Amino acid sequence: MIRYLVRRLLQGVLTLFCVVTIAFVLGRASGKPAALLLTEGATAQQIDELNGRLGFNRPLGEQYLDYLGGLLRGDFGVSYRNPSAPAITLIAERLPATISLALISFAIGLTVAIGAAILIHITGSTRLRATFVWGGSLRQAMPDFFFGVVLVLILSVGLHALPSLGFTGPLSYVLPVITIATGQFVLYVRLLDSALSEQSTQDYVVTAYARGKSQAAVVVGEMLPNALLPILTMAGMNLAGLLGGTVIVETVFAWPGVGQVLMQAVSTRDFAVVQAGLLVVAIMFVVVNLAVDLLYPVLDPRVRLA
Amino acid sequence: MTEQLIDIPVETVVVRPRRRVRKSVLPIIGGTLLLCMLLFVIIVPLLPGVDPLAQDLSHANLPPFTDSAHLLGTDSLGRDTLSRIAQGGRTTIAITLAIVVINVIIGATIGLLAGFFGGWIDRLIGLVSDAILSLPVVLLLIAISAIVGPSATLMVVVLGCTFWMGYARVARAVTLSLRGRDFIVAPQILGASASWTIRRHVLPHVVPPVLILAVTDVGVVMLLQAGLDFLGLGVQPPAPTWGGLILQGQPVLSTNPWQSILPGLSIFILVAGTQLLSQRFTAEGSIPLRRARTA
Repeated sequence: MIRYLVRRLLQGVLTLFCVVTIAFVLGRASGKPAALLLTEGATAQQIDELNGRLGFNRPLGEQYLDYLGGLLRGDFGVSYRNPSAPAITLIAERLPATISLALISFAIGLTVAIGAAILIHITGSTRLRATFVWGGSLRQAMPDFFFGVVLVLILSVGLHALPSLGFTGPLSYVLPVITIATGQFVLYVRLLDSALSEQSTQDYVVTAYARGKSQAAVVVGEMLPNALLPILTMAGMNLAGLLGGTVIVETVFAWPGVGQVLMQAVSTRDFAVVQAGLLVVAIMFVVVNLAVDLLYPVLDPRVRLA
Repeated sequence: MTEQLIDIPVETVVVRPRRRVRKSVLPIIGGTLLLCMLLFVIIVPLLPGVDPLAQDLSHANLPPFTDSAHLLGTDSLGRDTLSRIAQGGRTTIAITLAIVVINVIIGATIGLLAGFFGGWIDRLIGLVSDAILSLPVVLLLIAISAIVGPSATLMVVVLGCTFWMGYARVARAVTLSLRGRDFIVAPQILGASASWTIRRHVLPHVVPPVLILAVTDVGVVMLLQAGLDFLGLGVQPPAPTWGGLILQGQPVLSTNPWQSILPGLSIFILVAGTQLLSQRFTAEGSIPLRRARTA
C-alpha cells in the first residue's frame, strides 16, 4: 500500500515536471519573446532592451533552472503586458469562479445521473432507459456553446427570467451549470446503467431478493455501491477536465473565470499568464486524478491487495 | 408382432422469442441525415449566385424565408446565410475529417508497432500516451496560440497529435490477440520481413475496428473543433465555419437569433447523424433489465 502510494506520488510529480518543461519550451520555441511583444516598427535596440529587462538574453539552461527555482518558491513569472502584476495573481483571482462553477456542475450532473439510473432499475422500464439515454445523447450531440446560446435565448432574452452574461449573483450560476451538467449526464447514465445491469445478475442480488428485500432496497442498498466504483475513474477525469476546460462555457456566458483571463492573454500574446494558467490547471488535474486513485483502495477492498 | 401406433395428442407449442430481434432503423436515419448534409454542403456552393463573402448592407439582418434572393436570411453585413452555412460546412467537415484521419493513421501505426514488437517499444508508447492523456488539449492549444497566433493549421496539427490514443489501444489489442497465431508466425519463420507480415496479415484485422471507432469519433472531434472555432482559435474570419458563425451571431442574438441557431442546428444534425450511424456497430440498449416485481 505504501509502495503504491509512493509510486503514484512520483508519477504525479513526473507528469507535472513534463508539463513545466513543455510550458518552458513553448515559451522559448518562437525565439525571444520581446520581438512578439513590441509593435512591428520597434527597433532592434528596443527589442534587445526588453529582452534584457525580461531576462531573455541569458543562456537557455540558466533560464530553465531559474524558472524551475522560481516555481518552487511559488514565483510563476510576471505578466509581459503588466510588469507590476505577477502572472499567478492574475490567475488566482479568477480561480474561485472557475472552481465553484466546475464543482457545482459536476455534483449536479452526477447526482441527477445516479438518480436516473436508480429510477431505471427500480422501475425496470426499458422505455424510461431509452428516454434518458436518448435525451442525454441528443443533448450531447449539441455543442456546449450552442446549447448555452439557446438557453440564453429562451430563458434570458425570451422570458427575462435569468441573467445571461457575467456574474451578478447566485442566479448567474443557473445557465452555465445547466449547460455543463446536462452535457455530462448521459456519460454517467450509460456507465451506471450498464454497471447496474451487470450487478443484477450476480448471486448476491438473487440472494437479496430471496430474503424478501424490495426491488428499491436491493437496487439502492446492494447494487448501487458496487456499481458506483467503475464510475469513479470517469468522474475523476471529468472533474479534472472541468476544472481546466470550462473555457468554452465561460466564454459563452462571459463568466469571470480563468478561461476569460487565458483568452485575453492569447489575444495580447501575454505568454507568462498563459504559462501560469497551464501550470495551475495541470496541478489541479494531477491532484484530482491522484485523489481518485487513492480513494479507490479505500472504497474497494479488492484493490488494496493489488 | 404388429407395431401399435400410439396416438399421443401432441400440442403444438409455439415458442415465441422473448424479444423480437429487429433490425434497428436508427442507423438508417443517421446515414440519411449525414448524406443530406453532405449533399447540401457539396451542392449549394456550386450553384450560381452563391457567394459567402459578398456583402450587401442594404439587405442586412434579414430573417429566414423573407427574401427570395436570401432564403435563410442575411447577417449583419448582409452576407447570405445559406451560402455561409454551406461553405462553413465544407470547411468544418473537411477539417474534422482531416483531424480524424491523421489520428487514425498515427494511432493505428503506433498500436500495431506496440502490439507486434512489445517490450520496451510497448512500454515507451504507453508512457507517451499516458502523458498526452493528462494534458488538457484545449489549454495546450491556447498556450501555443498565444505564441504563434491562432490558425486553422495549428488547430489541425494539435488535435491531430492528441486524439490517437483510442486507436492505438484498439490496434494494439487486436495485434496482441493475433500474436503467436500460425499465419503470423509461419511467414516470419520462412523469412518474411516484419513489415511485410504486418501489412499482409495484421493490418486487415486492425482496420475494421479502428474505422468503427473513427465513425464514433467524428462527432466528438467535430464538437471540439467547432468549439475552438467558436473561441477564435481555429479557422480565422472572414472564412465561415459553423462554430465561427455561432460566435458571430451571438451579439445579435436578441434581434436575429437565426444567425446562431441555423449553424448550431447544422452541427447538431451532423453529430447526431454520426451517433445514430455508429449504433449500427454497438449493442446499445440490448442489455435486458430485471422486470420490476408487481407483488
